[in-house]
Amino acid sequence: MKPDLSVEIAGVKFSNPVLTASGTCGYGEELADLFDLGRLGGIVTKSVTVQPRDGHPPPRTAETESGMLNAIGLANVGIDKFIEEKLSFLESYRTNVIVNVAGARLREYIEICSRLNDCLRADMVELNFSCPNVEWGMEIAKDALIAEKSVAAVKKVFSRPVIAKLSPNVSDIVLIARACEAGGADGLSLINTLVGMAVDIETYRPRLTNNTGGLSGPAIKPVALALIYQVYREVKIPIIGIGGIMNYADAVEFLLCGATAVQVGTGLFVKPDIPLEIISGLQKYLGKHKLKSVTDLVGKLRKY
Amino acid sequence: MSRIVVESIPITGKTEVGPGCFILDVGRFSRLKFIRPGQFVHIGVPDSGLLFRRAFSVYDVDMERGFFSILFKVVGRGTHRLSQVKKNDTLDVLGPLGNGFKFPGKRETLILAAGGIGMPPIYFLAKRLVERNYDPDKVLFFYGAVSKSELVDVRRIKKLKTRIFLSTDDGSFGFKGFVTGVIKKAISERQEKFRIFACGPEGMLRVVDAMAHQNGIPGQFSLEAPMPCGLGICLGCIRPLAGGGYTRVCREGPVYDIGEVVL
Repeated sequence: MKPDLSVEIAGVKFSNPVLTASGTCGYGEELADLFDLGRLGGIVTKSVTVQPRDGHPPPRTAETESGMLNAIGLANVGIDKFIEEKLSFLESYRTNVIVNVAGARLREYIEICSRLNDCLRADMVELNFSCPNVEWGMEIAKDALIAEKSVAAVKKVFSRPVIAKLSPNVSDIVLIARACEAGGADGLSLINTLVGMAVDIETYRPRLTNNTGGLSGPAIKPVALALIYQVYREVKIPIIGIGGIMNYADAVEFLLCGATAVQVGTGLFVKPDIPLEIISGLQKYLGKHKLKSVTDLVGKLRKY
Repeated sequence: MSRIVVESIPITGKTEVGPGCFILDVGRFSRLKFIRPGQFVHIGVPDSGLLFRRAFSVYDVDMERGFFSILFKVVGRGTHRLSQVKKNDTLDVLGPLGNGFKFPGKRETLILAAGGIGMPPIYFLAKRLVERNYDPDKVLFFYGAVSKSELVDVRRIKKLKTRIFLSTDDGSFGFKGFVTGVIKKAISERQEKFRIFACGPEGMLRVVDAMAHQNGIPGQFSLEAPMPCGLGICLGCIRPLAGGGYTRVCREGPVYDIGEVVL
């Protein structure tokens, strides 16, 4: 019998634990040119805000050692167009759609999420509590009380599962994780990018117009694993692991540390069909290790 | 848009055509016959530790022998590593990507402006035009580079039998001066209906854009930008649009109409 790749997060069934991360797959349209989005466990759409945003001026990405910096600045079409065009595009795909939501104020999160509540294609929302590239992005991320209050407020207007996406750029991520859980979060996704910088030594300028950006890619995988390992022991809600996943073996590491599912981000830029490779790699790995279900790996890290 | 694929395919030929300038022929690409002039491929740099692919305009397509070619100059780590690949090595190719040039109507005189290592898509366009029986006498191919050694693979262009105007900034071959100067002169000497297609360094495109605008000449140019993904999902390769907002060079481009983008 083929090993079972399906997982469940907050009562929502995923055909497999491989999702595409917010801000790395747009609204799915481009990847749909390459493969059937229905093969993904889920797709997490680019952060949507109340108003459309152009984002920061270029350059807003830079390649670094085993990673990349980005400061896109939450460029997105805004909630109106998102619902009208982007969500309806995703209507025909048999995959879970998790809508990533960003706001400058709590009331913006509430406005967006209450509108999304009427859109059944939005299976879940993921609250971006962690964008390092806009001035107000980090406020909620760093303050446990605000995080708790924000999740609780969103839970009141959105009846399906609410995931909080956490930043690694805080002194104690466990504190924020617990606060989100207390606020009623149905799951956590971690980690967002780490604040980083690169400098052009000919022009003396930062390589991004925003000066600093978010570091992603294989460079941050060890950080992500350590934080998931810490958070997993302290919360009961499921964790979606993110951070430099490039192959099935990386995904297995995240699962062992406590993630129920994973999101692939920067890896999509390297190889856009990478989720499919990871899915088939997981299948083979489970078979080889005689495991019936991918859930048999979750949190199964052994002690020394 | 044509379907996009990711394929590991072999290098069938490699030629050094100038100092640090190489042509790679890459075979067995399943979408070969769908590649249009102006489109590009995104190529993984093997064994380099570099995360991202590198974007190359398609230089030529050989349908008979079944390969496409890219022409590039070594400018950084990625192109340096690619200059070391050997025949039969495999390359990870994503493509065909972006939009090609719009083919012109037959009555216009075409100004094809190629600057330096921006020559490949212009050659490919010229070749397809000639294949489609566009009168080669109405195709004026301007190719300029810094100096003689950087005017590469001219023989290939000459085979098309279009009118050809070679120039070098330092006067070591052909007309002396920028390619834009040569074009300006040609325009002023003729009373014809022109259309322009250009690819080259940004300074050159800025002049071409302004010149075309002033003279009411329609046309298109192909832009270059560092591209992490090549597909439109990373939002990294954006440029400001004349009408406001940004455009993704990899997705809405790399070919733009004259006056469309802020250069």
